[in-house]
Amino acid sequence: MFFHIVLERNMQLHPRFFGRNLRENIVSKLMKDVEGTCSGRHGFVVAITGIENIGKGLIRDGTGFVTFPVKYQCVVFRPFKGEILEAVVTMVNKMGFFAEAGPVQIFVSNHLIPDDMEFQTGDMPNYTTSDGSVKIQKDSEVRLKIIGTRVDATEIFCIGTIKDDFLGVINDPANA
Amino acid sequence: MSMNTTISVEPFKRLVKLAARAFYDDVSTKGENQSKNNARGDNKGIAVVVLDALTRRPWVNEEALAKDLKIHIKQLRRVLRLFEEDKLLTRAHRKETAKITKKPNGGGADGQKRFGREDDKNNKLHTHSYCCLDYAQIYDVVRYRLHRMRKMIKDELENNNAVQQYICPNCGRRYNALDALRLISLVDEYFHCENCEGVLVAESDKLAAQEGGDGDDNARRRRREKLKDMLQNMEVQLKPLMDQLSRVKDLPIPEIGSLQAWQLHEHAAGRAINGDPSSDDQFKYSQGSGYGGTPMPFLGETKVEVAFAGDESKEGIKSESSSASLKVLPPWMIKQGMNLTKEQRGEVKKESKMDSSSAAVEFSDEKKSAQENDDSIKEEYVKAYYAALLEQQRQAEESAKKQQELSQTSMSNGLSESASNRQVGKKAKREEGEGDDDVEWDEAPIEGNTSESYRLNDLNDEAPASGEEDDDIDWEEG
Repeated sequence: MFFHIVLERNMQLHPRFFGRNLRENIVSKLMKDVEGTCSGRHGFVVAITGIENIGKGLIRDGTGFVTFPVKYQCVVFRPFKGEILEAVVTMVNKMGFFAEAGPVQIFVSNHLIPDDMEFQTGDMPNYTTSDGSVKIQKDSEVRLKIIGTRVDATEIFCIGTIKDDFLGVINDPANA
Repeated sequence: MSMNTTISVEPFKRLVKLAARAFYDDVSTKGENQSKNNARGDNKGIAVVVLDALTRRPWVNEEALAKDLKIHIKQLRRVLRLFEEDKLLTRAHRKETAKITKKPNGGGADGQKRFGREDDKNNKLHTHSYCCLDYAQIYDVVRYRLHRMRKMIKDELENNNAVQQYICPNCGRRYNALDALRLISLVDEYFHCENCEGVLVAESDKLAAQEGGDGDDNARRRRREKLKDMLQNMEVQLKPLMDQLSRVKDLPIPEIGSLQAWQLHEHAAGRAINGDPSSDDQFKYSQGSGYGGTPMPFLGETKVEVAFAGDESKEGIKSESSSASLKVLPPWMIKQGMNLTKEQRGEVKKESKMDSSSAAVEFSDEKKSAQENDDSIKEEYVKAYYAALLEQQRQAEESAKKQQELSQTSMSNGLSESASNRQVGKKAKREEGEGDDDVEWDEAPIEGNTSESYRLNDLNDEAPASGEEDDDIDWEEG
């Protein structure tokens, strides 16, 4: 699920950035530092949408670095248990398949794949129904439901299922 | 009530009753603070009672329902809130005056003045809550509930949604699916143990391979048995409910409609059946305050309703307040130069009564004589009216400025004041606008005007104000 929230971060800035473009420098550094990171609490920071305010800088003893408290608005993405996501399959093996929904990695184990789908080894390992009409392989797009998440300080990993109504392949590149 | 008697509702009622017994049998409304072992406070099954009671009535005032069921309103509310959360019923909250059933005081302008005060008192609005079963929703909710129940048990039985466990046959280390990312190997398509590089097996597979061994497995098996039993029991015990659901499936769903719509319908029906409308009801609607900020469409609907009621309400009021007939002005109100008809002074009460009810069928015999009387009264009225008009003009010239100011302020200030400031000639005119009682002596002289103001009066409580407006126009003309 996406959220638009306000976060705060202390930016350490080298003195060489001080000057006319101080503000721009802070913002660009913030974007570089923050976008694409993941915090267990808020999820993945997708993009910074605005700066709320930049506080007074504090000069660090000894180094000359200055710390600015920056409040910024950003879009974060955090997966939840029970959430339905659309994801791209990245890897298929005997144990199941891995898929990605943006920055989130999801593993669907083989017992959460419908029973009528069989694993086929080969050049392009895939799961296929007995009549061959549905095939899950690399780059397939699937709709899945998250049934478990592991949230670490810096990463989020999910397991999902496609063994439910309206879940499964939504676009098969092989047939396209 | 008419809706209650339709046949198509019965299966739905049965559905509600079955659902109540299936799902709400052990629901207790006890607050957390109350002791659990208090036998007297044990109100298990109250939810069933309430639901049953609700099947027997459409929209019902919650306080009345509490009284009927002889339980405390708070207790009832707690149950109703539960049902509301479960989407079994719809509730409507309406601001109403405290004593809506209070009877309007009869008695011409005097009564009107009292009305004004009464309005102030009654305008302290209280929120009244009404509730009603929503059969369409109940049907869906019950089906969904059954579906969820079945699905939950089946999911657990089939180990869906469970996080897959993996075990290393070499070192016995366990992993689960959340570790998958670390376990994939680049050489083959199996997971490998981080310690010993052994190929991991999914735990269920291992279970199948192994003899059902340790206690953990036993517990799991017992759990499975239990779930199977539960599923079976559910299928058996809820069979009647499911049967009822399938029976109801193709039936048209009884639509009770919104509270306002229902009440309007109910009143119309009640009146059609009884033929004796209580003026209370009429009052309630003509008050308009009962609707407290309902959108205009509803007012539009009441218009129709009340016009219908208004015809009869004249009778109703008359018969109820026969002691104080509406048109008789109290003696202290009658001043010199007032263009009052005789019946307004209370002299020919009887005739006036007959006349007013001439529209009604029962009085058709006496209609003729009443008509004759009417003619003479009309003539008298016209004379008196012109006399008063002259008088009024004279007086108006005398104190034109002052009076105009007064009337203006009175307009803005309100009813009672304006009434006291009013001039004699005007007074009579105002009554004309007041309606209800005026029909007899108005009819001839200014047909269009009366009919118009009459309708206005009946429609809502704006009427007195509109009457005043008429007055003011007269003033300026004079």
